[in-house]
Amino acid sequence: MANSNIACIIAEHVTMHFDGKMLFSVQHLSFSQADVIYLQGDNGSGKSTLMKLLAGLSIASEGSITAHGFEKSHWWRKDGLVGKALYLHQHPYLFDGSVKYNLTFAAKQASKNKQLLTKRVEQAIEMAQLGHLLDNSASNLSGGERQRLAMARAWIIQPTLLMLDEPTSNMDKPSQLLVLDMIKQLKEEGTGLLLSSHQACGLTSLCNKHWFITNKQIKVSDDAPHNSDQTLLTTMELNYAN
Amino acid sequence: MSEGWLSLLQQAFSLLLSFDHDVWSIINISFSVSFAALLITLIPSLALGFVLAFTQFRGRWLVTNLVQTLQSIPTVVIGLLVYLLLTRNGVLGDLKWLFTQKGMILGQMLICAPVLIALSQAAFSSVDRRAWETARTLGVAWPKAVYVLCRELRVPLLLAVIAAFSRILTEVGCSMMVGGNIMNVTRNIPTAIALETSKGDFAQAIALGLVLLILALILNFTLGTLRGKAVPRSH
Repeated sequence: MANSNIACIIAEHVTMHFDGKMLFSVQHLSFSQADVIYLQGDNGSGKSTLMKLLAGLSIASEGSITAHGFEKSHWWRKDGLVGKALYLHQHPYLFDGSVKYNLTFAAKQASKNKQLLTKRVEQAIEMAQLGHLLDNSASNLSGGERQRLAMARAWIIQPTLLMLDEPTSNMDKPSQLLVLDMIKQLKEEGTGLLLSSHQACGLTSLCNKHWFITNKQIKVSDDAPHNSDQTLLTTMELNYAN
Repeated sequence: MSEGWLSLLQQAFSLLLSFDHDVWSIINISFSVSFAALLITLIPSLALGFVLAFTQFRGRWLVTNLVQTLQSIPTVVIGLLVYLLLTRNGVLGDLKWLFTQKGMILGQMLICAPVLIALSQAAFSSVDRRAWETARTLGVAWPKAVYVLCRELRVPLLLAVIAAFSRILTEVGCSMMVGGNIMNVTRNIPTAIALETSKGDFAQAIALGLVLLILALILNFTLGTLRGKAVPRSH
């Protein structure tokens, strides 16, 4: 059961169907602030769907997903799960407007005082190295810049839980390092992380738990994945190992 | 027609520029009635367009097709329907709205709403779903997330508004039947053009036609400018 002091999202007896076919099912999953979870699975196994379920952006076919230990929102914002765990798309969506507009958009959603917020936005711009792009249209950014901007947007909000879907795809090494720094700092500030990645990277070494989607089941392991060849195991190899 | 085109155009411009009371009364009625109909219909129609695009419910297919059908019903048929509703023995007869601007507004609302609903549904259906998901996951409450989507879709939504406004401002059938074409009360630009042309007073008809033409030019150039900026973008 969840520790009442830390925020977490708990999924119980969840099954997800897609076009009449079962995508995956799981008896119990818990994603808390203390976790840094590495989610693995083959293409089409449902990694993104699982993240969207936990973010409240999709509804499970069966079972329940509940949030615990979060600050109570205002009565007019009874949104259930939405907004509790921030989900970052593999190909992030940037709003029509400048880089600055996108950062300001995020800042308006953060519940911090104005002074702290201004400082945090400045820090985000510096960390993601977006200073020279502030007035550029977000639609003109390269793949890596887009992901850095999306990460900066999430970093400004400083979410309790953050889910990153292939966060370093489309990125060159320097961009990966920038994003890794931001994620590490969020972790130090108490953000729980769930990340999916096909490749072992700097991020996977942060993880202290491992979820595999294999044979339409989500298997949970409390073992930290090693930042080695083990993180490159495919589902077939995992099945073979089991 | 013994008068030359040039002379008629001169008279038409003279009527407009001298602020002829009758001409400007007609223009005023036309715009106030159509703006009122558009304003009342706008938010509920966009909301329904959003619901039809974003939700799955029993009867969605039926509602979508009914709205599409209503778009193509001749305005004179809608005029007949509203006339029957507002006539003394009609369901809404007690309102005494027949041959009043309120009756005209009701008729134009019925013409305007299907266009707005259908075009906004098409616009909302074309939006990248990640726009909604991103706004929501960043902590935006759903009413504001709808606003965010509207901002992302401002060009197609503006197109929907202009199309709906153009349709009601230029329709003649419903206004004629429900309004009755009463001078200084319910006579609007299209009904006045029809009347003045039948009387042979082409100068006033041309003056009013010019107003519609200028409006069409302004609206389309505005839209063209917006479209020009809205280049296809990668998400």
